[in-house]
Amino acid sequence: MEIAIDINHPDPLFTQLIDQIKEAVQKGDLKPGEPLPSIRQLATDLEMNNKTVAKAYRLLERDSVIQTRGYRGTFVHPNAKANSTVDLNAWVTNKLSETIAEFREAGVTDSEIRNAFSNVISERTTQGAR
Amino acid sequence: MVASTDILFYIAFLGQIFLTSYYFPNKILNRMDFVLKSYPPEQYPLLYPRSEAYYKFGRAGFRIATRLIFGLGFVILFAVMFLVDHANFADDGFISEFWPALYGIIQFLPLMALEVTEFKQLKLMRQQNSVSKRKADLRRRGLFDMVSPLIFFAAIACIVGSIVIDYYVHEFPQGFGSDTSERALVLTMTNLLLAGLGAFLLYGKKLNPHQSSDDRNLIISSNLRSLCYCSIALSIFFVTQAVSDVIDMAFLDATLMSIYFILVVYISLGENLKRLPIEDMDFEVYKKAAL
Repeated sequence: MEIAIDINHPDPLFTQLIDQIKEAVQKGDLKPGEPLPSIRQLATDLEMNNKTVAKAYRLLERDSVIQTRGYRGTFVHPNAKANSTVDLNAWVTNKLSETIAEFREAGVTDSEIRNAFSNVISERTTQGAR
Repeated sequence: MVASTDILFYIAFLGQIFLTSYYFPNKILNRMDFVLKSYPPEQYPLLYPRSEAYYKFGRAGFRIATRLIFGLGFVILFAVMFLVDHANFADDGFISEFWPALYGIIQFLPLMALEVTEFKQLKLMRQQNSVSKRKADLRRRGLFDMVSPLIFFAAIACIVGSIVIDYYVHEFPQGFGSDTSERALVLTMTNLLLAGLGAFLLYGKKLNPHQSSDDRNLIISSNLRSLCYCSIALSIFFVTQAVSDVIDMAFLDATLMSIYFILVVYISLGENLKRLPIEDMDFEVYKKAAL
Protein backbone atom coordinates (compact mmCIF):
# COMPACT_ATOMS: atom_id res chain seq x y z
CA MET A 1 0.00 0.00 0.00
CA GLU A 2 1.51 3.30 -1.12
CA ILE A 3 1.05 6.81 0.20
CA ALA A 4 1.95 10.01 -1.61
CA ILE A 5 2.98 13.27 -0.01
CA ASP A 6 3.00 16.51 -1.96
CA ILE A 7 5.63 18.93 -0.68
CA ASN A 8 3.93 21.84 -2.49
CA HIS A 9 0.53 21.14 -0.97
CA PRO A 10 -0.72 23.84 1.44
CA ASP A 11 -1.38 21.23 4.17
CA PRO A 12 1.59 20.49 6.44
CA LEU A 13 3.44 17.26 5.64
CA PHE A 14 2.56 15.60 8.95
CA THR A 15 -1.14 16.33 8.37
CA GLN A 16 -1.00 14.76 4.91
CA LEU A 17 0.67 11.72 6.45
CA ILE A 18 -1.96 11.43 9.21
CA ASP A 19 -4.83 11.83 6.74
CA GLN A 20 -3.49 9.20 4.38
CA ILE A 21 -2.82 6.66 7.11
CA LYS A 22 -6.34 7.21 8.50
CA GLU A 23 -7.76 6.91 4.98
CA ALA A 24 -5.88 3.64 4.46
CA VAL A 25 -7.30 2.32 7.75
CA GLN A 26 -10.83 3.34 6.82
CA LYS A 27 -10.56 1.76 3.37
CA GLY A 28 -9.25 -1.44 4.94
CA ASP A 29 -5.87 -1.22 3.21
CA LEU A 30 -4.30 -1.23 6.66
CA LYS A 31 -5.72 -3.92 8.95
CA PRO A 32 -5.63 -3.94 12.79
CA GLY A 33 -2.35 -5.37 14.07
CA GLU A 34 -0.57 -4.82 10.75
CA PRO A 35 3.00 -3.57 11.19
CA LEU A 36 3.81 -0.06 9.98
CA PRO A 37 7.17 1.11 8.68
CA SER A 38 9.59 2.57 11.17
CA ILE A 39 9.87 6.35 11.46
CA ARG A 40 13.29 6.22 9.84
CA GLN A 41 12.09 4.08 6.91
CA LEU A 42 9.15 6.34 6.13
CA ALA A 43 11.22 9.51 6.57
CA THR A 44 13.94 8.18 4.24
CA ASP A 45 11.46 7.01 1.59
CA LEU A 46 9.55 10.30 1.63
CA GLU A 47 12.76 12.35 1.93
CA MET A 48 11.34 13.99 5.03
CA ASN A 49 12.74 14.90 8.41
CA ASN A 50 12.45 12.09 11.00
CA LYS A 51 10.79 14.58 13.34
CA THR A 52 7.92 15.19 10.89
CA VAL A 53 7.10 11.49 10.67
CA ALA A 54 7.56 11.12 14.44
CA LYS A 55 5.06 13.94 14.98
CA ALA A 56 2.52 12.28 12.67
CA TYR A 57 3.00 8.93 14.46
CA ARG A 58 2.68 10.62 17.87
CA LEU A 59 -0.63 12.21 16.89
CA LEU A 60 -1.90 8.97 15.37
CA GLU A 61 -0.96 7.18 18.58
CA ARG A 62 -2.79 9.84 20.61
CA ASP A 63 -5.89 9.17 18.47
CA SER A 64 -5.43 5.40 19.01
CA VAL A 65 -5.06 4.75 15.30
CA ILE A 66 -1.63 3.18 15.77
CA GLN A 67 0.22 1.77 18.75
CA THR A 68 3.90 1.39 19.52
CA ARG A 69 4.99 -1.90 21.04
CA GLY A 70 8.50 -1.08 22.25
CA TYR A 71 11.30 -2.51 20.17
CA ARG A 72 8.85 -4.54 18.07
CA GLY A 73 7.80 -1.37 16.28
CA THR A 74 4.56 0.37 15.39
CA PHE A 75 1.32 -1.43 14.53
CA VAL A 76 -2.20 -0.51 13.48
CA HIS A 77 -4.39 -0.21 16.61
CA PRO A 78 -7.06 -2.94 17.09
CA ASN A 79 -9.77 -0.21 17.10
CA ALA A 80 -8.08 1.89 14.44
CA LYS A 81 -11.05 1.90 12.08
CA ALA A 82 -13.43 3.35 14.65
CA ASN A 83 -10.82 5.76 15.99
CA SER A 84 -9.72 7.09 12.63
CA THR A 85 -13.19 8.45 11.94
CA VAL A 86 -12.85 10.73 14.99
CA ASP A 87 -11.24 13.91 13.76
CA LEU A 88 -9.82 15.64 16.83
CA ASN A 89 -8.91 18.73 14.84
CA ALA A 90 -12.49 19.16 13.68
CA TRP A 91 -13.73 18.52 17.24
CA VAL A 92 -11.37 21.18 18.69
CA THR A 93 -12.38 23.69 15.99
CA ASN A 94 -16.04 23.00 16.68
CA LYS A 95 -15.67 23.37 20.46
CA LEU A 96 -13.64 26.58 20.10
CA SER A 97 -16.19 28.05 17.68
CA GLU A 98 -18.99 27.40 20.19
CA THR A 99 -17.00 28.93 23.05
CA ILE A 100 -15.96 31.99 21.03
CA ALA A 101 -19.56 32.53 19.93
CA GLU A 102 -20.59 32.49 23.62
CA PHE A 103 -17.89 35.04 24.51
CA ARG A 104 -18.96 37.33 21.66
CA GLU A 105 -22.56 37.13 22.80
CA ALA A 106 -21.41 38.19 26.28
CA GLY A 107 -19.66 41.22 24.68
CA VAL A 108 -16.07 40.05 24.90
CA THR A 109 -13.96 41.56 22.08
CA ASP A 110 -11.85 39.41 19.72
CA SER A 111 -8.57 40.85 21.03
CA GLU A 112 -9.64 40.05 24.62
CA ILE A 113 -10.45 36.50 23.56
CA ARG A 114 -7.09 36.23 21.76
CA ASN A 115 -5.18 37.54 24.82
CA ALA A 116 -7.03 35.26 27.20
CA PHE A 117 -6.49 32.28 24.90
CA SER A 118 -2.77 32.87 24.59
CA ASN A 119 -2.49 33.44 28.36
CA VAL A 120 -4.19 30.12 29.06
CA ILE A 121 -2.06 28.32 26.48
CA SER A 122 1.22 29.81 27.77
CA GLU A 123 0.20 29.10 31.38
CA ARG A 124 -0.43 25.45 30.43
CA THR A 125 2.86 25.29 28.55
CA THR A 126 4.76 26.70 31.56
CA GLN A 127 3.04 24.24 33.92
CA GLY A 128 3.87 21.40 31.53
CA ALA A 129 7.51 22.47 31.43
CA ARG A 130 7.76 22.34 35.23
CA MET B 1 50.62 -36.86 -20.43
CA VAL B 2 48.01 -34.45 -19.06
CA ALA B 3 47.14 -35.04 -15.37
CA SER B 4 43.49 -35.61 -14.45
CA THR B 5 43.61 -32.63 -12.05
CA ASP B 6 44.72 -30.46 -14.97
CA ILE B 7 41.75 -31.66 -17.04
CA LEU B 8 39.49 -30.80 -14.09
CA PHE B 9 40.93 -27.30 -14.08
CA TYR B 10 40.46 -26.91 -17.84
CA ILE B 11 36.79 -27.87 -17.50
CA ALA B 12 36.25 -25.50 -14.55
CA PHE B 13 38.08 -22.68 -16.34
CA LEU B 14 36.02 -23.21 -19.50
CA GLY B 15 32.92 -22.93 -17.32
CA GLN B 16 34.29 -19.71 -15.82
CA ILE B 17 34.98 -18.26 -19.32
CA PHE B 18 31.61 -19.26 -20.71
CA LEU B 19 29.39 -18.24 -17.76
CA THR B 20 30.91 -14.89 -16.81
CA SER B 21 31.97 -13.61 -20.21
CA TYR B 22 29.38 -15.10 -22.55
CA TYR B 23 26.23 -16.57 -20.99
CA PHE B 24 25.38 -13.93 -18.39
CA PRO B 25 26.56 -10.93 -20.48
CA ASN B 26 24.31 -12.22 -23.29
CA LYS B 27 21.40 -12.35 -20.88
CA ILE B 28 22.14 -8.76 -19.82
CA LEU B 29 22.39 -7.64 -23.47
CA ASN B 30 19.05 -9.32 -24.22
CA ARG B 31 17.47 -7.46 -21.30
CA MET B 32 18.90 -4.17 -22.60
CA ASP B 33 17.44 -4.88 -26.07
CA PHE B 34 14.10 -5.88 -24.59
CA VAL B 35 13.85 -2.65 -22.56
CA LEU B 36 14.90 -0.43 -25.48
CA LYS B 37 12.40 -2.10 -27.83
CA SER B 38 9.45 -2.56 -25.48
CA TYR B 39 9.81 0.69 -23.53
CA PRO B 40 11.16 3.28 -25.99
CA PRO B 41 12.30 6.74 -24.82
CA GLU B 42 9.38 8.45 -26.61
CA GLN B 43 6.83 6.63 -24.45
CA TYR B 44 8.88 6.13 -21.28
CA PRO B 45 10.94 9.33 -21.04
CA LEU B 46 11.57 9.06 -17.29
CA LEU B 47 13.55 5.85 -17.81
CA TYR B 48 16.09 7.62 -20.00
CA PRO B 49 17.74 10.65 -18.40
CA ARG B 50 20.21 10.60 -21.30
CA SER B 51 19.78 10.31 -25.06
CA GLU B 52 18.98 6.94 -26.67
CA ALA B 53 22.32 7.08 -28.53
CA TYR B 54 24.14 7.10 -25.17
CA TYR B 55 22.48 3.82 -24.13
CA LYS B 56 23.17 2.20 -27.50
CA PHE B 57 26.81 3.29 -27.23
CA GLY B 58 26.99 1.88 -23.68
CA ARG B 59 25.42 -1.38 -24.83
CA ALA B 60 27.93 -1.69 -27.68
CA GLY B 61 30.82 -0.94 -25.28
CA PHE B 62 29.66 -3.63 -22.86
CA ARG B 63 29.27 -6.14 -25.70
CA ILE B 64 32.76 -5.46 -27.10
CA ALA B 65 34.39 -5.59 -23.64
CA THR B 66 32.77 -8.92 -22.72
CA ARG B 67 33.57 -10.46 -26.12
CA LEU B 68 37.22 -9.37 -25.83
CA ILE B 69 37.44 -10.83 -22.33
CA PHE B 70 35.76 -13.99 -23.61
CA GLY B 71 38.55 -14.30 -26.19
CA LEU B 72 41.19 -13.48 -23.58
CA GLY B 73 39.96 -16.45 -21.56
CA PHE B 74 40.90 -18.83 -24.36
CA VAL B 75 44.28 -17.12 -24.73
CA ILE B 76 44.93 -17.66 -21.00
CA LEU B 77 43.73 -21.26 -21.24
CA PHE B 78 46.01 -21.89 -24.22
CA ALA B 79 48.95 -20.30 -22.37
CA VAL B 80 48.27 -22.38 -19.24
CA MET B 81 47.99 -25.57 -21.33
CA PHE B 82 51.00 -25.11 -23.60
CA LEU B 83 53.18 -22.10 -22.78
CA VAL B 84 53.53 -21.67 -19.01
CA ASP B 85 56.22 -23.66 -17.26
CA HIS B 86 54.28 -24.53 -14.11
CA ALA B 87 57.31 -26.01 -12.39
CA ASN B 88 59.01 -22.59 -12.43
CA PHE B 89 55.89 -20.43 -12.13
CA ALA B 90 54.55 -21.98 -8.91
CA ASP B 91 56.52 -23.45 -6.00
CA ASP B 92 54.44 -26.61 -5.93
CA GLY B 93 54.65 -27.20 -9.68
CA PHE B 94 50.88 -27.32 -10.13
CA ILE B 95 48.75 -24.86 -12.15
CA SER B 96 48.68 -21.70 -10.07
CA GLU B 97 45.37 -20.22 -8.80
CA PHE B 98 46.81 -16.91 -10.02
CA TRP B 99 45.39 -17.61 -13.53
CA PRO B 100 41.69 -18.08 -12.70
CA ALA B 101 41.91 -15.33 -10.05
CA LEU B 102 43.45 -12.79 -12.43
CA TYR B 103 41.02 -13.70 -15.20
CA GLY B 104 38.08 -13.65 -12.77
CA ILE B 105 38.93 -10.08 -11.72
CA ILE B 106 39.19 -9.00 -15.38
CA GLN B 107 35.85 -10.70 -16.09
CA PHE B 108 34.13 -8.69 -13.37
CA LEU B 109 35.37 -5.33 -14.71
CA PRO B 110 32.59 -4.79 -17.33
CA LEU B 111 29.99 -5.91 -14.78
CA MET B 112 31.36 -3.41 -12.25
CA ALA B 113 31.37 -0.70 -14.93
CA LEU B 114 27.72 -1.55 -15.57
CA GLU B 115 26.93 -1.13 -11.86
CA VAL B 116 28.70 2.25 -11.75
CA THR B 117 26.80 3.37 -14.87
CA GLU B 118 23.54 2.32 -13.23
CA PHE B 119 24.33 4.39 -10.13
CA LYS B 120 25.12 7.40 -12.32
CA GLN B 121 21.90 6.85 -14.26
CA LEU B 122 19.86 6.74 -11.04
CA LYS B 123 21.58 9.86 -9.78
CA LEU B 124 20.62 11.68 -12.99
CA MET B 125 17.05 10.43 -12.61
CA ARG B 126 16.92 11.89 -9.11
CA GLN B 127 18.39 15.19 -10.27
CA GLN B 128 15.90 15.48 -13.13
CA ASN B 129 12.96 14.53 -10.97
CA SER B 130 11.10 17.81 -10.39
CA VAL B 131 7.90 16.21 -9.12
CA SER B 132 6.67 17.52 -5.77
CA LYS B 133 4.89 14.25 -4.97
CA ARG B 134 6.83 11.63 -3.03
CA LYS B 135 5.66 8.08 -2.62
CA ALA B 136 6.36 5.54 0.08
CA ASP B 137 5.26 2.06 0.94
CA LEU B 138 3.33 1.55 4.17
CA ARG B 139 4.70 -1.97 4.54
CA ARG B 140 7.51 -2.48 7.02
CA ARG B 141 10.85 -3.31 5.40
CA GLY B 142 12.40 -5.47 8.10
CA LEU B 143 15.33 -7.79 7.45
CA PHE B 144 13.24 -10.95 7.81
CA ASP B 145 10.44 -9.52 5.68
CA MET B 146 12.98 -9.48 2.86
CA VAL B 147 15.16 -12.51 3.44
CA SER B 148 14.42 -15.88 5.00
CA PRO B 149 15.82 -16.21 8.56
CA LEU B 150 17.10 -19.65 7.51
CA ILE B 151 19.38 -18.20 4.82
CA PHE B 152 20.48 -15.34 7.09
CA PHE B 153 21.38 -17.57 10.03
CA ALA B 154 23.00 -20.11 7.68
CA ALA B 155 25.31 -17.29 6.53
CA ILE B 156 26.12 -16.37 10.16
CA ALA B 157 26.72 -20.05 11.02
CA CYS B 158 29.05 -20.40 8.01
CA ILE B 159 31.12 -17.38 9.12
CA VAL B 160 31.46 -18.73 12.68
CA GLY B 161 32.01 -22.28 11.39
CA SER B 162 34.68 -21.14 8.95
CA ILE B 163 36.64 -19.27 11.65
CA VAL B 164 36.30 -22.11 14.19
CA ILE B 165 37.35 -24.80 11.67
CA ASP B 166 40.32 -22.66 10.58
CA TYR B 167 41.49 -22.25 14.20
CA TYR B 168 40.81 -25.92 14.94
CA VAL B 169 42.79 -27.37 12.00
CA HIS B 170 45.69 -25.03 12.82
CA GLU B 171 45.51 -25.99 16.54
CA PHE B 172 44.37 -22.57 17.75
CA PRO B 173 47.39 -20.38 16.95
CA GLN B 174 47.94 -17.41 19.28
CA GLY B 175 48.58 -13.82 18.22
CA PHE B 176 47.64 -11.86 15.13
CA GLY B 177 50.48 -12.76 12.78
CA SER B 178 49.21 -16.15 11.62
CA ASP B 179 47.38 -16.93 8.36
CA THR B 180 44.43 -18.10 10.45
CA SER B 181 43.98 -14.78 12.23
CA GLU B 182 44.47 -12.90 8.95
CA ARG B 183 41.79 -15.03 7.31
CA ALA B 184 39.44 -14.49 10.26
CA LEU B 185 40.04 -10.74 10.02
CA VAL B 186 39.48 -10.62 6.24
CA LEU B 187 36.34 -12.76 6.55
CA THR B 188 34.95 -10.53 9.30
CA MET B 189 35.74 -7.31 7.46
CA THR B 190 34.28 -8.57 4.16
CA ASN B 191 31.12 -9.69 5.93
CA LEU B 192 30.86 -6.31 7.66
CA LEU B 193 31.06 -4.73 4.20
CA LEU B 194 28.29 -7.05 2.96
CA ALA B 195 26.24 -6.19 6.07
CA GLY B 196 26.75 -2.50 5.34
CA LEU B 197 25.53 -3.00 1.77
CA GLY B 198 22.53 -4.91 3.09
CA ALA B 199 21.72 -2.16 5.59
CA PHE B 200 21.96 0.44 2.83
CA LEU B 201 19.55 -1.58 0.68
CA LEU B 202 17.09 -1.88 3.57
CA TYR B 203 17.35 1.49 5.23
CA GLY B 204 19.14 3.68 2.70
CA LYS B 205 17.54 6.26 0.50
CA LYS B 206 15.47 5.34 -2.53
CA LEU B 207 17.86 5.42 -5.47
CA ASN B 208 15.27 5.21 -8.24
CA PRO B 209 12.74 8.01 -7.65
CA HIS B 210 10.10 6.48 -9.97
CA GLN B 211 10.34 2.80 -9.07
CA SER B 212 7.19 1.15 -7.70
CA SER B 213 7.27 -0.16 -4.15
CA ASP B 214 6.68 -3.74 -5.25
CA ASP B 215 9.64 -3.66 -7.64
CA ARG B 216 11.83 -2.03 -5.05
CA ASN B 217 10.96 -4.66 -2.43
CA LEU B 218 11.56 -7.45 -4.94
CA ILE B 219 14.99 -6.06 -5.84
CA ILE B 220 15.96 -5.52 -2.19
CA SER B 221 14.87 -9.05 -1.31
CA SER B 222 16.77 -10.56 -4.23
CA ASN B 223 19.92 -8.56 -3.50
CA LEU B 224 19.84 -9.43 0.20
CA ARG B 225 19.58 -13.11 -0.65
CA SER B 226 22.52 -12.74 -3.01
CA LEU B 227 24.55 -11.04 -0.27
CA CYS B 228 23.79 -13.94 2.09
CA TYR B 229 24.79 -16.49 -0.57
CA CYS B 230 27.98 -14.52 -1.29
CA SER B 231 28.81 -14.59 2.41
CA ILE B 232 28.23 -18.37 2.51
CA ALA B 233 30.41 -18.85 -0.61
CA LEU B 234 33.15 -16.73 0.96
CA SER B 235 33.06 -18.76 4.18
CA ILE B 236 33.27 -22.01 2.19
CA PHE B 237 36.20 -20.61 0.20
CA PHE B 238 38.04 -19.68 3.40
CA VAL B 239 37.41 -23.15 4.85
CA THR B 240 38.89 -24.79 1.76
CA GLN B 241 41.91 -22.48 2.07
CA ALA B 242 42.33 -23.44 5.73
CA VAL B 243 41.91 -27.15 5.07
CA SER B 244 44.32 -27.06 2.12
CA ASP B 245 47.06 -25.96 4.57
CA VAL B 246 46.69 -29.22 6.45
CA ILE B 247 45.65 -31.66 3.75
CA ASP B 248 47.84 -31.26 0.68
CA MET B 249 45.39 -29.90 -1.87
CA ALA B 250 47.75 -27.68 -3.86
CA PHE B 251 46.88 -29.63 -7.04
CA LEU B 252 43.26 -28.44 -6.63
CA ASP B 253 43.93 -24.76 -5.82
CA ALA B 254 43.42 -23.45 -9.37
CA THR B 255 40.31 -25.59 -9.92
CA LEU B 256 38.78 -24.45 -6.62
CA MET B 257 39.50 -20.81 -7.46
CA SER B 258 37.78 -21.23 -10.82
CA ILE B 259 34.78 -22.93 -9.22
CA TYR B 260 34.66 -20.15 -6.62
CA PHE B 261 34.39 -17.51 -9.35
CA ILE B 262 31.65 -19.53 -11.09
CA LEU B 263 29.78 -19.77 -7.78
CA VAL B 264 30.09 -16.04 -7.08
CA VAL B 265 28.88 -14.99 -10.54
CA TYR B 266 26.02 -17.48 -10.38
CA ILE B 267 24.74 -16.44 -6.95
CA SER B 268 25.24 -12.72 -7.46
CA LEU B 269 24.31 -12.18 -11.10
CA GLY B 270 22.61 -15.40 -12.19
CA GLU B 271 20.22 -15.59 -9.27
CA ASN B 272 19.28 -11.91 -9.63
CA LEU B 273 18.61 -12.31 -13.36
CA LYS B 274 16.45 -15.35 -12.60
CA ARG B 275 14.54 -13.82 -9.69
CA LEU B 276 13.94 -10.46 -11.33
CA PRO B 277 12.29 -11.14 -14.67
CA ILE B 278 12.22 -7.90 -16.64
CA GLU B 279 8.75 -8.68 -18.00
CA ASP B 280 7.31 -8.50 -14.47
CA MET B 281 8.71 -5.04 -13.70
CA ASP B 282 6.38 -2.08 -13.63
CA PHE B 283 7.50 0.28 -16.41
CA GLU B 284 4.32 2.37 -16.39
CA VAL B 285 5.93 4.54 -13.68
CA TYR B 286 8.40 5.83 -16.28
CA LYS B 287 5.70 7.36 -18.45
CA LYS B 288 5.25 11.11 -18.19
CA ALA B 289 1.56 10.58 -17.50
CA ALA B 290 2.46 8.56 -14.40
CA LEU B 291 3.49 11.75 -12.58
